[in-house]
Amino acid sequence: MMAQAALIRRAAPVLACIGLLAVWQLAALALKNDSFPTAIEAIRAVPDILGDKESLINILASLRRMAIGFGVAVLVSIPLGLLMGRSRGVAAFFNPLLMVIYPVPKAALMPIIMLWLGVGDITKTLVIFLGVSLPVIYHSFEGAKAVEEKMLWSGAAMGLLPAQRLVRIVLPAALPEILTGCRTGLVLALITMITSEMIARQSGAGNILFNALDMGQYDTVFAMIIIVGAMGICLDAIFEKVRARLVRWSEPQFDMPLSFS
Amino acid sequence: MTVVPARSSEWVRPVTSQEPASAIIEIDRVSQVFQTSARKDHLALSEISLTIEEGAFVSILGPSGCGKSTLLYIVGGFVRPTSGTATIKGHAIAGPGPDRGPVFQEFALFPWKTVLGNVMYGPRQQGVHAAEAEAQSRALIEMVGLKGYENFYPKELSGGMKQRVALARTLAYHPEVLLMDEPFGALDAHTRTRLQNDLLNIWERDRKTVLFVTHSVDEAVFLSDKVVMMSKSPGRIRQVIDIDLPRPRRRNELLLDPRYQKYVVDIERMFDESDEAGSVS
Ligand SMILES: Nc1ncnc2c1ncn2[C@@H]1O[C@H](COP(=O)(O)OP(=O)(O)OP(=O)(O)O)[C@@H](O)[C@H]1O
Ligand SMILES: [Mg+2]
Repeated sequence: MMAQAALIRRAAPVLACIGLLAVWQLAALALKNDSFPTAIEAIRAVPDILGDKESLINILASLRRMAIGFGVAVLVSIPLGLLMGRSRGVAAFFNPLLMVIYPVPKAALMPIIMLWLGVGDITKTLVIFLGVSLPVIYHSFEGAKAVEEKMLWSGAAMGLLPAQRLVRIVLPAALPEILTGCRTGLVLALITMITSEMIARQSGAGNILFNALDMGQYDTVFAMIIIVGAMGICLDAIFEKVRARLVRWSEPQFDMPLSFS
Repeated sequence: MTVVPARSSEWVRPVTSQEPASAIIEIDRVSQVFQTSARKDHLALSEISLTIEEGAFVSILGPSGCGKSTLLYIVGGFVRPTSGTATIKGHAIAGPGPDRGPVFQEFALFPWKTVLGNVMYGPRQQGVHAAEAEAQSRALIEMVGLKGYENFYPKELSGGMKQRVALARTLAYHPEVLLMDEPFGALDAHTRTRLQNDLLNIWERDRKTVLFVTHSVDEAVFLSDKVVMMSKSPGRIRQVIDIDLPRPRRRNELLLDPRYQKYVVDIERMFDESDEAGSVS
C-alpha cells in the first residue's frame, strides 16, 4: 500500500509532462499552423540549441544573472524582512516604500533603468533583484511577526541579546515562511530574467527566443520554451530538496486526506 | 529602592537554617493594566505586594485569569508593570536575565532544535563547553524521563513530553530563581508525582528559589513553604499561607499526615467561599 502510494507520487510529475506534450502534439496536428510546431518538432530542435556554443553561452549568461540577482535579493531581503517583522518603526518606514513598488511590474521599470544603467548585465540583474526581493521581504516579514513571543522570552532569559535573538531565534523560527518566499522568488527570477532579455536584447535565453520569433523560426521558439520550462522545473526541484532538508522539523506530521475511502 | 540593612546578605550570611532568610524578590504594590482590543482598560493585577525569601518554594494558586502568569512575567522581566516595582536582590527588575529561569505554560520550545538541542541551548549560551553541556543535558533529559528521545523534534512529542523538555531546558542553565507556570499541568498523575518528587529533590539539594503557579491545591501544599492565594477581577492576593510541614517531604507519609490534610481542606474551603462571594456580588 505504502509503496504503491510512493510510486504514484513519483510517477505523477512524469505522467503530467507526458500528458501535456501529448495534448500539444494533438493540438498542433489538428491546427496545422506554421507558427505552431508539434511537440516532437520542438523537442527535436532542443539538441540543436544546446549543442550550439553561441546559444549555450547565452543561456549560461542568463543563468548567471539570475543567480546573482536572486542571491543578492535573498541576502538583502531576509534581514530587512525580519527587522520589519520585529520592529514597528522599521516596518512603518519601509512598508509604504514597498507598497509603491509591489504592484509595478518589474519589467515595466526596465526602460527607465536602461536609460540610467544601459542595456548590460547590471540593468537585467537589477530587475531580477527587484522581482525576487518583494516576495522574500514579505514572507520574511510575516514569518518574523508570527514568531511566538515566549520563544523570544526564553532566549532572553538565557542571555541572548536582541541581535542574537534575531539571528538565532527569529531567523530559524521564521525559516519555513522565508523559504516559501524564496520559492516564489525563484520563479519570479526566471520570469524577470526572460522578460528583461526580451526588452534589452543583447544576450541570454530570452534573446535566443525572441530573435527566433522575429525570424519565424518557430521550432526554435518552442524549443526554447521547453528549455526554460525544464530549467524552472529543475530549479524548483532542487530548491524543494534543500528546503525540505532545512525545515524537516516543521513539516506536518500527518497527511489529511480529503476522504478516507 | 532602599535596601534594609538587616536583609542585605553582605554581612548577614545565612549560614544555618536558623538565621532569618533574606528576601530575594520583593514585589511592591504592582498593578498591571492591559489594553484590550475593545479599547477598554483591564486591571489584571491590582496592588500586589509579596516578598519571596531566598531559597523558598512559593506557590501561587488562583482561578484561571486571575493574573498568575502575568505576575510571573513581571518577575521574569518580560512585562513591565503599569505601576509598582519588583526587585531582585535589591535591584529593580529591568529585563530578563539568566538568574531567573521561566518554564512557560506554553512550553515555547525551539521547534528547529531536537530535545537535546533545546536542553543544551542555555548552557551553550552561557559558554559551557559542548561536551560538558551535552553530558549535563543528557543527564537532565534522563531525569525528566525522556531518555531515548534526545534526537526527537518538539513536534514529535506529546504535550506532557514537551512540558518535561521545557523544564529540563530551564534547569540546564541553573537559574537562581525558577519561575514555573503550571509546569505539570499537562502530565498524567503518575509522571506528575514523579516530577514533583524530582523537583523537590533538586530544590532540596540546590535550594533554588521557586515561584510555582498551579491550579492544584494538593500540589501547592505538598511542594511549598508558602501558598499565595489569589482572587480574580481584579487579580489580588487574598491570603498568604505558610505551610509548616517538615522536610524532606515524602508523598506517602504526607498524604496520611493530618496537618497536610488540614491545609488542603482549609485552602479548598477558602476558594469555595470566594466562589460563593463572587456569585453574589
Ligand atoms: N496581553 C494581554 N492583553 C490583554 N489582556 C491580557 C493580556 N495578557 C493577559 N491578559 C488578561 O489578564 C488577565 C490575567 O491573565 P493571566 O494569563 O495572567 O491569567 P492566569 O492566572 O495565568 O490564568 P490561567 O490560570 O488560565 O493561566 C486575564 O483576564 C487576561 O485576559
Ligand atoms: Mg497562566
